[in-house]
Amino acid sequence: MSAIALRDLSVRVAGHDLVRHVSLEVAAGSWCTVIGPNGAGKTTLVEAVAGLRSLASGEVALDGEALASMSGRERARRVSLVPQHPVIPAGMSVHDYVALGRTAYHGVLRAPSSSDHAVVASVLERVELTSFRDRDVVTLSGGERQRMVLGRALAQSTMVMVLDEPITGLDLRHQMTMLEMLRREVDDCGLTVLATLHDLTLAGQFADRLVLLDHGEIVLDGPASEVIRSDELAKRYEMELRVVEINGSDVVVPVRDARRGPSPLSTEQ
Amino acid sequence: MAWVTSLTLVILALAAVGGLVVGPTSIGASRVLGDTLSHLGVGHSTLTSMQSTIIWQLRAPRMVLGLLAGAMLAVAGGTYQGVFRNPLADPYLLGVAAGAGLGATIAIVDVGGGLSTPSWTPLLAFAGALVAVGVTWIIGGGGHRANTSTLILAGVAVASLLTSAQTYLQQQGSVNSLARVYIWLLGSLASASWSSVLLVLPYVIVCALICLFAARALDVMSVGEEESRSLGLPVRRVRLVVIGAASLGTAAIVSAVGLIGFVGIVVPHVMRLLVGTSYRRILPLSILAGAAFLVLADTIARTVLAPSELPLGVVTALVGAPVFVLILSLRGRVSM
Repeated sequence: MSAIALRDLSVRVAGHDLVRHVSLEVAAGSWCTVIGPNGAGKTTLVEAVAGLRSLASGEVALDGEALASMSGRERARRVSLVPQHPVIPAGMSVHDYVALGRTAYHGVLRAPSSSDHAVVASVLERVELTSFRDRDVVTLSGGERQRMVLGRALAQSTMVMVLDEPITGLDLRHQMTMLEMLRREVDDCGLTVLATLHDLTLAGQFADRLVLLDHGEIVLDGPASEVIRSDELAKRYEMELRVVEINGSDVVVPVRDARRGPSPLSTEQ
Repeated sequence: MAWVTSLTLVILALAAVGGLVVGPTSIGASRVLGDTLSHLGVGHSTLTSMQSTIIWQLRAPRMVLGLLAGAMLAVAGGTYQGVFRNPLADPYLLGVAAGAGLGATIAIVDVGGGLSTPSWTPLLAFAGALVAVGVTWIIGGGGHRANTSTLILAGVAVASLLTSAQTYLQQQGSVNSLARVYIWLLGSLASASWSSVLLVLPYVIVCALICLFAARALDVMSVGEEESRSLGLPVRRVRLVVIGAASLGTAAIVSAVGLIGFVGIVVPHVMRLLVGTSYRRILPLSILAGAAFLVLADTIARTVLAPSELPLGVVTALVGAPVFVLILSLRGRVSM
């Protein structure tokens, strides 16, 4: 059974169909990354999987159970979210921020149990923030903040995690650190990941599978090495792309047209 | 945290004792204590019956009503700041003050004819406050839309409308009624009695408790509504319950003591500066500090120009603003 199953999913926002009839299944313990140009509907798609969007049609199911039939608490125990622009509440400690991930377990009327505290301690260790546990969240660097947000999602102890551009704004080293941590959770703990990424090279190197979304529809779906070599990819991005192999890893390189530059931007949603 | 709690408790105890013993009729604390013990069957009272009446029928209900009002306004303000994630939020944000003001003005001008402040002024003020919040909630789509900004804007619109209606009515009345409405709007504990204490007590207990129980939810909501939902928080339900509780408690207080500003917005901020941003610490301490602050302010209000009184709202701002500025300058920026 698939960990994530989208069946004929459509999402309409303010009269616009941002996601159209998407059907997708993600196997448990695998990493699927959604790529696509700006305005393709990637964020809307992952937010729908996280239960934050009303569906115009179709269904999201986690382990065969419809998301719509779950309570908010139940949903938060099944799917966690790393948003693209998380709110960082000034004055809160790193520990307390990560511990927010346990809300669905202890509720808002009870204090966290000893097992909740144990989970938070373990997560802080996994995201390498144990020594920062008492620091104010706003004092962290961009990379540390993003690891902290990942930590909050891990503290939800879900089998499915959705991430929306989790490495936006990070330098190369912190991008790699963040994605390596996530990969470890997939390989060692069986986490199922559905992420969006703009960086095609990193998308190809870390995901088991890539889904190319454009104008709200899936136009390509397959193993990463095949998708990044597809002519369709270049066509959808409206530019020339090359794939070079370095030490066994695929690197996607945009090729500049010296005469014209990239094609004029088509109408974006 | 521990020293802030201890200090607040000491100030609260001093404020409560001061509220009983300080006044134009000088009665020592030890004699008041002796009288209290005599009521419990221990020892004999040295107070005359007049002094006993002043303490237990005038100052005590006034002090207790001040405690309740300060506690409720402060915890409601802190709750509003949390649920709206807005440092400028106060208990009057959704139109409670404007609604209560209109209700009281109708009572004084239309029912009382401006010659007196009718006994059911609190009832009309209470009804006005609840109607105002209800209308704000409906217009702002509180039950459905996720955006609290809409609710705040609806509150601004409703408050403006009701305030203009209140001003119109006020202008239609006599000079006498104008003065009465004005005095009511400034807020006062002068008409406090045990019956008014008993009237607001259930509201304050229930509403303050709901706000306290919501503190952990407010901490979760500090990451915004969408993220809170993804963490499993029933945001809409929490918002309905805490706004309802904070507004109901505020409406009950406003109907009894009029409009007292400053407490609801500043006390939670002072606590935030002293103990950090968690509502699990801010709200309980706001209850203690708000209660102490209002009783202290009232003691000043009724003694400085005795036998006449200063408006309580004037004293809360005059005393509170410098204290707030001092703490702000010592502790730095306010974080939400």
